[in-house]
Amino acid sequence: MSSTADISPAVPSPVPTVADRSSEEAGKLVEKILIRNLNFYYGDNQALKSINLALYDRRVTAFIGPSGCGKSTLLRILNRIYSLYPHQRAEGDVLLDGVNILDHGQDLNLLRARVGMVFQKPTPFPMSIYENIAFGVRLFEKLPRAAIEERVQLALQRAAIWDEVKDKLQANGLSLSGGQQQRLCIARTVALKPEVILLDEPCSALDPISTAKIEELIDELKDDYTIAIVTHNMQQAARVSDYTAFMYLGELVEFDTTSKMFTSPGDRRTQDYITGRFG
Amino acid sequence: MGRYRWRRLRNAIIVTLSISATVLGVGWLVLILGALVFEGFGGLSLTVFTNVNSGPGGGGGLLNSIVGSLILTSLATLIGTPVGILAGTYMAEYGKSAKLTIVVRFINDILLSAPSILIGLFVSVIIVKPTSHFSGFAGALALALIVIPVVVRTTEDMLSLVPRELRESATALGLPGAYVIRHVCYRAARAGIITGVLLAVARISGETAPLLFTALNNNLFTVNLNDAFPSLPMAINQYYSSIYDDQKQLAWVGSLIISFAVLALSIIARALSSTRTSS
Repeated sequence: MSSTADISPAVPSPVPTVADRSSEEAGKLVEKILIRNLNFYYGDNQALKSINLALYDRRVTAFIGPSGCGKSTLLRILNRIYSLYPHQRAEGDVLLDGVNILDHGQDLNLLRARVGMVFQKPTPFPMSIYENIAFGVRLFEKLPRAAIEERVQLALQRAAIWDEVKDKLQANGLSLSGGQQQRLCIARTVALKPEVILLDEPCSALDPISTAKIEELIDELKDDYTIAIVTHNMQQAARVSDYTAFMYLGELVEFDTTSKMFTSPGDRRTQDYITGRFG
Repeated sequence: MGRYRWRRLRNAIIVTLSISATVLGVGWLVLILGALVFEGFGGLSLTVFTNVNSGPGGGGGLLNSIVGSLILTSLATLIGTPVGILAGTYMAEYGKSAKLTIVVRFINDILLSAPSILIGLFVSVIIVKPTSHFSGFAGALALALIVIPVVVRTTEDMLSLVPRELRESATALGLPGAYVIRHVCYRAARAGIITGVLLAVARISGETAPLLFTALNNNLFTVNLNDAFPSLPMAINQYYSSIYDDQKQLAWVGSLIISFAVLALSIIARALSSTRTSS
């Protein structure tokens, strides 16, 4: 369908606003995030080289590649979490619904509410399960108590963890198992009603059963969200994603539909990596 | 002698030495506590808590000294804790590699081990001398100057121990930096910071040197901080120099009270730090 050549910067795209998202027919591809000529530096060290890529609305895009290839770095640009660290900088364009999020004027807190992120290690806040979700919601919206309770329940249901925690919402988030903690973190992100969800190796610290639950969850979430997932697990990429990007040494080697990438990759390096010859 | 037997012999010698060193170290502590209980327990009576200091001949108590110590310690903690926590927060969160942080950390470490009599002299010069009278305020300030470096150090250490992932995931929800510190980092570091404050309280409740030139002592009951102010350590100092047995006895009782108060604080601090991960 689409290859690296198709998403060159020259292609102008009709940019949909959030409002007409629902009016979009299900099959049509809309570029939610468009990355153009993106370079990234850790101090003097260049970690990403001229990346061009599109993330499609309500599709799952997987990023694969050997350690240190820049997958996580790329993900960390999309919500500008890298801006926490003074020596990291990005150059180029990252358009979210047509607006460049790398601009100086970008409100980072609003951006991060729109582009949620779940990390490799589950990171529940040191507070109750209920508060873990409610406290972010309260910051952004002045809602009556009942509405917040409803939002918390919805988020926990969405993250497929409600049945396990509904009787102990006041228990500490840290008392949950690793897999439950990770789903709690997903619920916390979903509760803010983001448009994009970034998952940075969300299953690498989890057992196979929890992993399966999270993969099922990703499949459900993509009905409403644009999802980007970094993974070291090739089978996982094949199972959960619609599109796959293969990165190597800071470059985007190949980007295509997952079925094409795993059956007939265009680049020799992609094939070698997928078949386990290196990495 | 075979190598194996020689090795066993060496082991036995070292183990014997280690055990004797431990017994010697702990032995002194047991002796001190034993002397304290032996000498002090006999003098413990209701009048100790209901009567103020008096001259020789019996009937004297420690009421004014106990109340004085409580007030001085509370006031010093109230002054020192916010300053210490704010400074520690700056050093751990805002100015992690700033020049100011490096300088403050260095000076703080010096303050941490400065002889407390020096702090007493300093406060004496800046407050007692200009006002030309001893005062509870000066005493509290001197004690506060001992609290500050302890709290600065623990706050910085405990905040630095908060995992980077926790800070990032809170930021990734769109929470502003100050909000992340107040609602996530402080919560995660709470038990450690409280422990630090309690240890500082334990330390100043037994300090005599900083009070010698500042609050001095007062044998009457007073809550007037603008006057010479009573305290337990100063009462012990005064009574133990007395030639009368009943006054010497009161010094022991005072020591017993301080020791058990400090012991109780240490136990609370220990209990808090052991629940650090589960709370």
